[in-house]
Amino acid sequence: MIRFENVGLRYGNDPEVLKDLSFSIKPGSFHFLTGPSGAGKTSLLRLFLLSLRPTTGNITMFGKKINRLNQDRLLQLRRHIGIVFQEFRLLDHLTTFENVALPLRVLGQDESEYSENVKELLDWVGLGSRMNAHPPVLSGGEKQRAAIARAVIGRPDILLADEPTGNVDPELSERLLHLFAELNRMGTTIIIATHELPLLEKFNYPRMQLSNGRLKINGS
Amino acid sequence: MAPEKTIPTQSLSPIVPTQSVSGRTLMLLIAIMTFLSGVTLGAVVLVQKSAIAWSSEVGREVTIQIRPIEGEVMQSNLRTVISLAKNSPGVANAYALSLDQSEELLIPWLGEGLDLSALSIPRLVIVALDRADSQDIAQLQASVQTVNGATLNTYSVWRQQLNTMAGTFVISGLLVLFLIASATVLAIIFATRGTMASNRSIVDVLHFIGASNSFIAGEFQGRFLRIGLRGSIGGAAASLLFFFGVGITVSNVLPAQSGAQLNALFGTFSLGFEGIVAIAILIPAISALTAITSRLTVQSFLRNPS
Repeated sequence: MIRFENVGLRYGNDPEVLKDLSFSIKPGSFHFLTGPSGAGKTSLLRLFLLSLRPTTGNITMFGKKINRLNQDRLLQLRRHIGIVFQEFRLLDHLTTFENVALPLRVLGQDESEYSENVKELLDWVGLGSRMNAHPPVLSGGEKQRAAIARAVIGRPDILLADEPTGNVDPELSERLLHLFAELNRMGTTIIIATHELPLLEKFNYPRMQLSNGRLKINGS
Repeated sequence: MAPEKTIPTQSLSPIVPTQSVSGRTLMLLIAIMTFLSGVTLGAVVLVQKSAIAWSSEVGREVTIQIRPIEGEVMQSNLRTVISLAKNSPGVANAYALSLDQSEELLIPWLGEGLDLSALSIPRLVIVALDRADSQDIAQLQASVQTVNGATLNTYSVWRQQLNTMAGTFVISGLLVLFLIASATVLAIIFATRGTMASNRSIVDVLHFIGASNSFIAGEFQGRFLRIGLRGSIGGAAASLLFFFGVGITVSNVLPAQSGAQLNALFGTFSLGFEGIVAIAILIPAISALTAITSRLTVQSFLRNPS
């Protein structure tokens, strides 16, 4: 599903952030991406998200070499990928329902086509009673669950999460991880960037460990 | 907390929020620009209508002047000229101004209370034509030249000057409209870039969930189209009210003499159907200008976000 071959990344003339990465990720797998701050976790996630192109090497995703794809094709591929941010990135002027439905709206679907699915998903993540609420009145956990729902409403093949538990308490962090595990059981490939070791200990998934721009995969 | 488990059935909120300070400011700016455009366009329509009316009125009439010449009998020449004129094709009527009427024409130059009976005053024959710009003037002119001291005046030079003046005014008005449109475009570009910068987080989220630049540009275009529509409706309505108010003022508030002078210049000071239509067309025109400008600006911004 994802294949990196000797991938390097640098911003402008700065030193390389990611160095000579070569690995592959199989469909339906679950990986933690760990490493100290500044190790390049977010940069690697942005490569997965196709919002950056590598400086060197090749990336193949969904059978296509992304180096050769134009902007429109990259956007089409990005629709196969869901993303969850630490800071949620919900749109405050939209309701929870509208935020979750946004990816389908972008695809041009009519509200009548997706409203039942969005409602079911909101029920599944425990926000069924909050669908008309706006993000500013949601708790941190509710916001993150809404962000996860938005990331998976389009049934992505890959779900990326950048420190998804960074702004919630430990109990809720664990519940969110169970939510990701459930999504993984349903077939979604999951990659979660986190540096919360207690959580990593509780969930026995392979770890992609970044250090000084180099990657080591444990437990695969 | 009370459950609120209802599927939203109201229309979805716009992805780009419509209520913002910059949006209201831009709406006001578009309203002012539309008002200025409406006033300019209305003035152009009024001047053009008046020029056409003046030209047409003057074009339906020519005068024949008969200068007193020693050895010529004025009354005989008058009768000859009137007869020649009436028998010319394209002439509806011809009559001579009386001696008193001719003397009255000299009052503005010579003043009142003078005894002009001792002077030999030229006499005028008014010739009413069937239609303006009659093609038969040449024949009438040839006939009139057979009478000693008679000359035909078609006011063609005066009409040409009037047409030139009206044309200059129309071109100046169109130039002002172009400048207003240019200023509006620049204001929309600045407002759009400001809105894009302040809504950067929305643009980023849309990109992350796979929205194309075209989709994002369309969302911003929709927002600016609504702003442009509201602003231009307000501005166009204000300019129509302006002309309505000026019309009322000219007819009811100004002294009769001032009102008569303005009416002589601008007719009845009424925009008429064509004037109202011209101002109404500003609404879709400025709305479209707003939407297209914002779309192009957004696309440029998305291509070069820095």
